[in-house]
This record gives sequence, C-alpha cells and structure tokens, in this order.
Amino acid sequence: MSTTTHDSGSNYLNHSKGIMSWLGTLDHKRIGLMYLWTVLVFFFIGGVAALLVRYELIAPGQTIMSADAYNKAFTYHGTIMVFMVIIPLIPAALGNFFLPLQLGAKDVAFPRLNLASYYVFISGAALAVTTLFLNGVDTGWTFYTPYSIRTGTSATWVLMGAFVMGFSSIFTGINFIVTIHKLRAPGLTWNRLPLFCWALYATSIIQVLATPVIALTVFLLTLERAFGIGIFDPKLGGDPVLFQHFFWFYSHPAVYIMIIPGMGIINEIIPVFSRKTVFGYTAMAVAIFGIALVAFVVWGHHMFVSNQSDLANFLFSLITMFVAVPTGVKVFSWVATMYKGSIHFDTPMLYAFAFLFVFTIGGLTGVFLATIASDVHLTHTYFVVAHFHYVMVGGTLMAFLGGMHYWWPKMFGRMYNETLAKWTCLLIFLGFNVTFFPQFILGSRGMPRRYYDYLPEFTELNRMSTHGSWMIGAGFMIVAIYMIYAIYKGKVANSNPWRASTLEWQTPSPPPHDNFAVTPVVTSGPYEYHD
Amino acid sequence: MSHHDSGHSKQEHHHHILPVAMAVKIWAALMVLTFTTVFVAQFDFGSLNFIVAMAVATLKAVLVCLFFMGLKYDDKQNVVIFTTSFLFLAVFMILTFSDLFFRGDVMLKKDEAFFKAASGPAKFKKPWNSTPEIVAHGKALFEAQCVTCHGAEGKGNGLAAAALNPKPRNFTAADGWKNGRKPSVIVGTLTKGLNAMPSFAALPLEDRWSLAHYVTNFGPNIDKDTPADLAKAGVDTSKDTLGAVESKSVPVEVIMERMAEDGKK
Amino acid sequence: MSNVRHHAHHFDSAQAEFEASKQGLWVFLVNEVLFFSGLFVAYAIYRVGNPDLLKECHHFLNWKLGATNTAVLIGSSLTMALGVTYAQKGEQKKSANMILLTILCAFGFLVIKYIEYSHKFHDGLLPGALFHNHELTHPKAPQFFSIYFVLTGLHGIHVVGGIVVLFWIWIRTLKKEFTPEYFTPVECVGLYWHFVDLVWIYLFPLLYLAS
Repeated sequence: MSTTTHDSGSNYLNHSKGIMSWLGTLDHKRIGLMYLWTVLVFFFIGGVAALLVRYELIAPGQTIMSADAYNKAFTYHGTIMVFMVIIPLIPAALGNFFLPLQLGAKDVAFPRLNLASYYVFISGAALAVTTLFLNGVDTGWTFYTPYSIRTGTSATWVLMGAFVMGFSSIFTGINFIVTIHKLRAPGLTWNRLPLFCWALYATSIIQVLATPVIALTVFLLTLERAFGIGIFDPKLGGDPVLFQHFFWFYSHPAVYIMIIPGMGIINEIIPVFSRKTVFGYTAMAVAIFGIALVAFVVWGHHMFVSNQSDLANFLFSLITMFVAVPTGVKVFSWVATMYKGSIHFDTPMLYAFAFLFVFTIGGLTGVFLATIASDVHLTHTYFVVAHFHYVMVGGTLMAFLGGMHYWWPKMFGRMYNETLAKWTCLLIFLGFNVTFFPQFILGSRGMPRRYYDYLPEFTELNRMSTHGSWMIGAGFMIVAIYMIYAIYKGKVANSNPWRASTLEWQTPSPPPHDNFAVTPVVTSGPYEYHD
Repeated sequence: MSHHDSGHSKQEHHHHILPVAMAVKIWAALMVLTFTTVFVAQFDFGSLNFIVAMAVATLKAVLVCLFFMGLKYDDKQNVVIFTTSFLFLAVFMILTFSDLFFRGDVMLKKDEAFFKAASGPAKFKKPWNSTPEIVAHGKALFEAQCVTCHGAEGKGNGLAAAALNPKPRNFTAADGWKNGRKPSVIVGTLTKGLNAMPSFAALPLEDRWSLAHYVTNFGPNIDKDTPADLAKAGVDTSKDTLGAVESKSVPVEVIMERMAEDGKK
Repeated sequence: MSNVRHHAHHFDSAQAEFEASKQGLWVFLVNEVLFFSGLFVAYAIYRVGNPDLLKECHHFLNWKLGATNTAVLIGSSLTMALGVTYAQKGEQKKSANMILLTILCAFGFLVIKYIEYSHKFHDGLLPGALFHNHELTHPKAPQFFSIYFVLTGLHGIHVVGGIVVLFWIWIRTLKKEFTPEYFTPVECVGLYWHFVDLVWIYLFPLLYLAS
C-alpha cells in the first residue's frame, strides 16, 4: 500500500549541519551523494577529454594536438571513464543510496567501511589524475605490455591509483553482499527482492571476485617497470600475452559491473511506468546471474589477434556467444512487461526506451566481435569503439540518467522540469546516435582506433561524429543544470510521485536520517501493479 | 552461557567455541602432515610427488578451515562464499592454460596440407635454385596461407586486402617492390614481415625459399640471385641443403628486430 | 559490565551484528584468494612450461628454513585459535597471552624470511633483470625468482598487516574490551590470520619442495 506523505520536517539532508557532518558521515544516503558529486566531476573531466579527442578527429591531419598528446588524451578519457566514472557510478552513488531503502534497512551492514571506501576512492583517483600535470600517460587504458613497461610517462602513478581505487570497489562489494544477506526487512524473501537489488548483488559478487586480479596485475606491472621482474617483458623472457590474460580476467567482468546495475535500474522503471508487474521475475533474476557467470569465462575474446592458441580462441568465442541467451531473456522480458501495460511516457520511461534501442544495438554488434572470422578485421577499429560506447554510454549512462530522473524526487523531495527533461532526453538520444553510429561504418571500412589521423575518405563520418559529441555534451550540461536547479527551486514532490510499490517510496521524500520510522513488513512482491 | 538478544531468530546460532584440547589436536595433526610432506619430498616418485604434496597441503588447509576458522560449525553461507573463490581460481587457471600450453598445437583442417608440407626433413637439393618441383611445393604453401591477402592470382587483391593499406604486394607487377624481386630478398621479407604481413620465420627456411620461387613466377622478368646475393642471404652453396634451425614459433629476436625497425620509421 | 551488548542501530541484535561482521570477513577473504590467484597462475605456467625449472631452482631455496617457517605459522595458528577460544570464554588474560604469542611467532616468521632473503641477495638470486647468479643457468631462473619474491613478499606484507591488527586486538584485550558477549574483532582477526597461514601452507610445497 503506498502512502504519500508530504514532509518538510527532519530528513537526512538537514539532520545535521556543517561540512564535517558530511565528510565524517556514516549515513549511506549522504555517502551516496558524495560519491555522486565526485563521480560527476570525473565524468566532466573525462568528457572534456572525449570532446578534445573528437575535435582532433574532426579533420584528417593534426588539428589541435600532436600524436603524443592525442595518445594521452584518449588514455585519460578511457582511464577516467572506466575506473572513476562508470564502475562506481550506479553502485556507489545510487546503490549506496537506495539499497538499504529498498531492503527496508536502516543502513548498509558496514557504514564505516562505506565511508572508508569513499576516501579510498578519491585517494586513488587523486593519484591517477594528478599525473595530468606531470608527464601524463599514453598507453591506452589497457596498459598493454611491453609498451607500458617502457613508456617514460607517469604510468606508475596511474597504475597505483587504479590499485587503490580497486579497493574502494571491493569494499562496496563486501558491504552490499552482507547487507543483502543480513539486513532484509521481515517478509522480504529472496523472491520478493527488487530486481535492482538482485542486480547490485550480482555486481558486488563480480566486484569481489574480479577486482583483486586487476590489483595484482597493476602491482606486477609496477614491479616490472621498477625492477624488471620479467614476468611480462619479452626482453627478459616474460610473456606479454600473459599480461593480457591477467588484465582481461578482471576487465571483462568489469564491463558487467558497469552494465548489470544499469539493467537493474531499467527493471525498476519499466514495471512502474507500465503499471504492470515484471514478466518472468524469476527468469530475470536468474538471467542476471547467468550474465554474471558467463562474464568470467569469456575474457579471451579481447585477445583473438594476440596470437592466443587456436584452442583458446575457439573456447572463448563459443562461450561468448552464450551471453546472448540471458541477455536476450532480459530484453524480451522488458518488452513483454510493457505489452498490455498502461505506458506513462515520463522521462524515466523515455530513458528506458532509449536504453532498449541503444543497448540492443550495442549487444548485437558484440556478436560480430565474438565471431573470430569477423573480429580479425574489426578488432582495433572504430567498430569496437562504437560497440562498447553503445553498451556503456547508451546502456549504462542512459540507464543512470533514467534512474536519476526516477529517484531525484525521492532524494531531494523536488521535481525537475519535465518538459525540459523530455527534450533533453531526445537531444541526448539523437546526439548519441549521431556520435557513435558513424563509427560502426568507419570501423568496418577499416579506420583503426587510437590513431590521431586517418585517410581522407573517412572525413565526412568523422565530422558527423564530432558534431554528435557536441550534441551529447550539451545534453549532459543541460541535465546537470536543470537537476541542480530542481534541488533548490523545483516543485516539491511527495513521497511517491510515481505510485511505485518498492520500499523506498514508502517513506517520506527526502527520507529521514533513519530511513524508516518503523521497520516495514513486506507482504507482497515488488511490482504488484494492478491499475 | 552467552545471553542472546531477542530478534530475528532465523539466523540465530550458538557461536561454537573450539575447545583447547581440540585445537591442540588439530595443531598436532598439522605438524604431522608437515613432517610427512617434507619426508615424502626427499624421495623421487616422479609426478606423484606433486600430487601428494598438493593433497597433503589441501588436507592441512581443510583442517585449518574447518576447525581453526570454524567453518564446520558456522553458517553454511560462509562455506559457500569461501569455496566459490577456489572455483574462480580454477577457471582463471584452466582457461589461461588453454592458451599458454596449446599454442601451435591445434591445426584446423584447412591448414593441414600446409603443416604437412612445412614439417619434415629437407625435401629439395639446393633449394635456392628454382626447379618445377620446388615451385609446385611453393604453390601448395601459397594456396594454404597467402591467398587471403595476395589473391589466388597473386595480384594483391585477396579478400582481406580490402582492409589493408598499403595493399599486399601484386606479384604480377614488375615495379613497386620495396626490397627488390630476387628470391633471396623475398625470403628475407618473409622472415621479417613487412607492413601488415607478419613474420613467417616460423616456417622452415626451405619452405620460405619455395614460396619465393613460386611468387617470382607470377610476374615478368624474374630476377635471379647472384652468388653474392646468396652469400649475403647466408646460403652456403657448397652444401646441398640449408642449415637453418627450425622452430615452431617466431623467434623473439626476429620480432624485436622488426619492432625496432618499425619504430625507426 | 552488563550482559546485554549494545549494537549498531541498523542491526536487530548483537548476534546479527556479529554474524554480519564475520560474513564480511569471509567475503574479504574471497577477495584475498583471488588476489593471490594470479601469482599461482603465473607459477603454474612457468612450472608446467619449464619442467626442469623448479628442479634446478629449488636447490637454491633453503627448505629447512621454509619448513621451520611452516611450523612457526602453524604454531601461530594454534595460539590464534586459543586466543579466540579464551576470548569467547571471557578468560581475558589467557587470551591476551595467546595473542602476544601469535605476534611473536609472526615476528619469528619475518626474521627467518629476512635471513632467507639476505642469502638470496648475497647470491644474486634476484628477480628478473636483477638476477646475477652464475651457478644457476636455467634461462627462466630470473622468472622463477620473480615469482618467488613476489609470492613470498606479498605474503610477508600480509604477515606485517596481520601483526598490526593482532597488536590492535592485543591492546584492546588488555583493556578488557572483549567479553563472552562481544569478541567480534578477535574472531575476525583470527580468520584473517588463519588465511595467512593457509597461503603459506600452499606456498611451502610449491616453492621449496620439488620432485
């Protein structure tokens, strides 16, 4: 039963005042917000790097930077976006805020560990980002050996930064797993758990299992650079492809750390705005774990041309195909959930539609890359770049924006300007496709990635892509502006403007410090909509 | 006796206290097992040594986990949680092995002719001289490995050539040859690789000569090797065969040389 | 001291808090297993790919010191387990003594490690590019010693970390902060310390004992 309360009294925002009450907070909601602002700052920096990269590519030949500077620009874009934005984005910001609320809990299991994870995150990020003012790093975010061993740039600092940030990810994962196991409200059985929580659960398991391997890898690479330990360096008898195995053992599951929470958000939005329960709830939960499991056994598909053995190539290609099964289950279920529902085209739902369109394209293009025969030609071209931007930006980022627009009234008790939000969603959607669709064509025609120059025949499409980047850049800026405006001047929202039935909506907006005045008792599933 | 708060007794356990005597017994067992493993290592049982060592280590680990770490009496969730990690360690190891220890061993059907032709003892006397037999051998090799880029007629218009820039060598043309058209020079190019073409140093040297003789047949006015050319290529014309050492993989030195040259460009 | 333990507001009971803390440590140990896993994979690759590598190299490792260290760590696991048992029973003095013994064993381990390492440094048996021993001529010997140093070094760092947290709970035990109702930190540090022992249980035969 949803109760709408309009509460202007004490909430987590005004519960205590002063900067120290934020910096030393143990409240998961405040920690979530701190993560949110911090990650968005890094998103801005990584986004500027992207705009610079795209501007360089607006015409062949040197436009605004030398080849060396270009190498650094795309390396920073990739490193910042991967480690400082898209991995922590949904789990640490929205997950931290809403997991306890959706579970009917008062906080995460380990609030101090939560705060520690935030400080570990910004320490690692600071380590990495200060290199912008030093030599910079030009290896690409993948740090392949032997170049990453030899490069004289400040790669070591970035590697150490990644090492430190990894622990933030691990701490968050530990926290969420124990929270979900031990702090569910009475009556909240596993089959009544919101799918966003299932998604966070799978993500946390991946974080705990995979992140330590990248920690070890960057640690070994640092030792390789400092002392020449010879594990990855062919000059000393090591194997550079071994580095790739170590690197991708983490980095492939990492992309699922990126997308699974996004899928979780879509799972929250679609039933609410279709006024219909999820089609195949159990299958959806199982599919999340199917995806997470397959995530661990496919890393070699990043290495098809690395002179990996034919056996490994065959195994990795075959198993990669399997990820399409649980993913397909999810896509079909989302559509089936909407079928015969009563669709409300509010902004969160628009982002969900955008997600479905864009993520599906991204996922399908993955199949071309999973097929070795075509991958040999498409690898290291813009086709790959387009593929992962479709799933990461089109997927995770659009889902994130949907989640932000869905949950903003809960977080701040205010509504944003709906008309502006809808138009901006359109701008971002169009801008995104204008930026990245041409890149599929560029890639299949042979334009390599990470090159600051290209053949004249690729000019038109590159120019179009750069123009698109301005559209999305503008779109994100507009979202930032109206969302921040809404916090202070937006229309006051009640506790449940979307008439949703998950637990976070059964408490006032913004939530009180302790989340729930009385621990809720759950008696039904999370998406029982009958109107 | 410990005092339990009321609350959700679903997850209530008595936390088990490991008795002192039991702890000492486990310690003794661990020490015995340690002596055992050191003792066994003094003798050579071949590959059994490793199996025994790992079995003993695992037994010790299980004792530590069950008793010292209390998993025997603990919430089963924790058992599942901890054992899962070893599953993923195994996955990591097995799939990485599927690459590291199977390089060069698996042959796809279409390559069988190529590998059959490429392995085995010297087939031709003085392979630096072109003969119809060596050209036929080169043709078999070319059709298995080179057609994708160079095309069936050697015009540099194979299927994969579409994505390449510069385009693969058109053997039917007389000019534009970067290193010249002598067989010895072609062998050198095959050994080092050029642009998008990888090094074929993994092929037996005799096969590289066979390919060289075959491709020079495509175009007009074949350049022949002079004795000076042959000497430069390291061929001892007084012998009947080439004295090269065969290796299954491209030697690292060749790669390093090639990378250094690429870096200079 | 009252028999009813206070607990953090978001838990229903002290027991729930204890169970959660313990589980959190187990999940952390999963992360630790995967942290070492890459090194075990690298070890396996160099060992399987070079059958005589371990045979040649292990002669240059001192198995007696390695075995002694194994005994030291196993002993420290005993003292740790007893430290936990006494804490659970409320016998604070005995618990403190056991924890102190564990710390001393840990130091003993590090001293023996230091002796081993200094021999290696002296003999030029160093990782990768730093390797300069003339007796050991196997081409992959530098890699072996890289793996040896990183594996044992990382393990050693975990021992140092263990000493820090052991010291922390020793002080708290002396201050009588633990009772039969509340001994969570002791139990959790115990779990961590036994894990450190677990890693060494595998390292010892893998590095020091060969067929």
